[in-house]
Amino acid sequence: MAPATDTAVRPRRSSSWRQFKAILRKDIVMELRTKEMLTSMGLYTLLTLLIYQVALSQSGSGFDVRLIAAGLLWLAFLFTSMLGLNRSLVHEKDQGCLEALLLSPVDRPVIFFAKATGNLVFLLIVEVLTIPLFFLMFLSGRAIGGDFWMIPLALIAGSIGIAGVGTLLATMSVNTSGKDFILAVMMVPIMYPLLLGVVSATSAAILGGPDYVGVFWRGLAFAGGYDAIMLLAAFGLYEFIVGA
Amino acid sequence: MTKDRITTAMLWLGGAITTAAFFMAFFWAGPVAYGDGRIDFAQKIFYFHVPVAEASFLVFFFVALYGVRFLMTRDRVYDTKSRIAMEVTLVFVLLTMATGDLWTRVEWGKWWVWEPRLTTYFIMTLLVIAYFVLRSSLEDEERRATYAAVFGIIAFIDAPLSFFITRIIPGVHPVVFASSGGGLEPPMLVTFIIAQVGMLMLGYAIYQLRMREEHVKEDIEALKASLEG
Repeated sequence: MAPATDTAVRPRRSSSWRQFKAILRKDIVMELRTKEMLTSMGLYTLLTLLIYQVALSQSGSGFDVRLIAAGLLWLAFLFTSMLGLNRSLVHEKDQGCLEALLLSPVDRPVIFFAKATGNLVFLLIVEVLTIPLFFLMFLSGRAIGGDFWMIPLALIAGSIGIAGVGTLLATMSVNTSGKDFILAVMMVPIMYPLLLGVVSATSAAILGGPDYVGVFWRGLAFAGGYDAIMLLAAFGLYEFIVGA
Repeated sequence: MTKDRITTAMLWLGGAITTAAFFMAFFWAGPVAYGDGRIDFAQKIFYFHVPVAEASFLVFFFVALYGVRFLMTRDRVYDTKSRIAMEVTLVFVLLTMATGDLWTRVEWGKWWVWEPRLTTYFIMTLLVIAYFVLRSSLEDEERRATYAAVFGIIAFIDAPLSFFITRIIPGVHPVVFASSGGGLEPPMLVTFIIAQVGMLMLGYAIYQLRMREEHVKEDIEALKASLEG
């Protein structure tokens, strides 16, 4: 008879980091298998680009799309992210996965970070695929005025905020009767400061102009501040809503 | 009850003080002139616009405070308090938007300008509406109270952030709205303070009256339940 202290029987204590990795891995593997979220988010962005063409169709060939390019891009990203957030959490709810997670001895904040990171990864993938398309379709032939490295930085700063706060709000909205409508109603006013900051930063990168580096860093600094404050708040509040 | 008496006192006193401030604004406080000597009569709106705006922020703070208290204690009383405070916030936010919009029209000839304060108040209006939309979309009471508390806290953090961002980010339209806070002569300052105090008293009274209405409603519901059961 094997003694009770046999190491093969004794379970390993799972740390927060391993819990985080496990949940994140589950989300990514599931996505790689079904590709549901990425395809729906990607298609949605393509459709948005088409609508942009309609919107700009009467502006004439002299119109410099670069003036509003940052705004158009972030608009597309915001609405795509709302779609993705809603779907990822509806999935969790329908499959009963969230309940299972809550029953297991996982810390609530870990669930928040893992889900938010998963959403962040998907959002970034969609953004990275969309930007070259946007440049091709609307900005071909014109170089950007600022520096190229600014754009990934702005993307990351904005996406972190969208994914973090979005995960909190989507966890609430998925339990309401309005689902994605409620998510939109909550998310747009809350995201407003972040969006203004990253659009300003991205616009400085695309347009250039006098003191564009200063404008870029100001916008980015504000976005970073917003991310820090809001993520802290979301992290603190998440355990109240995920248990309710 | 003493609270009822305080509420009634606040209501009448607040109304009287605000009316007094109204008269003082027109008959006592000196007129403000533009740089070229023309009288800026529309500036008088300042005595109502800023008090309601500050009152709305103060009540909004209580929404978040009661939200935090609810999450800490899980006592439904705080959920009710938070909701009523949000209703009062809505009243003051709408008043701020209305007076601000009137001022915009007179000052700049346009009905709407994406100026920092107006934009922030537009965001606040949307946040308040979102709060009520969220509440009405949830059936389960416990969940509704929890979600509303969380959203109220997030919204309260978001409002000042919106205000700062609109001032930091350089836009196409420069901020024309010079702050009227500095350099107020005594008659103007006194009028403003009286208007502010009066408005806060009215805010308190409205809140307490609404709470009283809620308590009566709850008592009726309890009586109904005990009759049926």
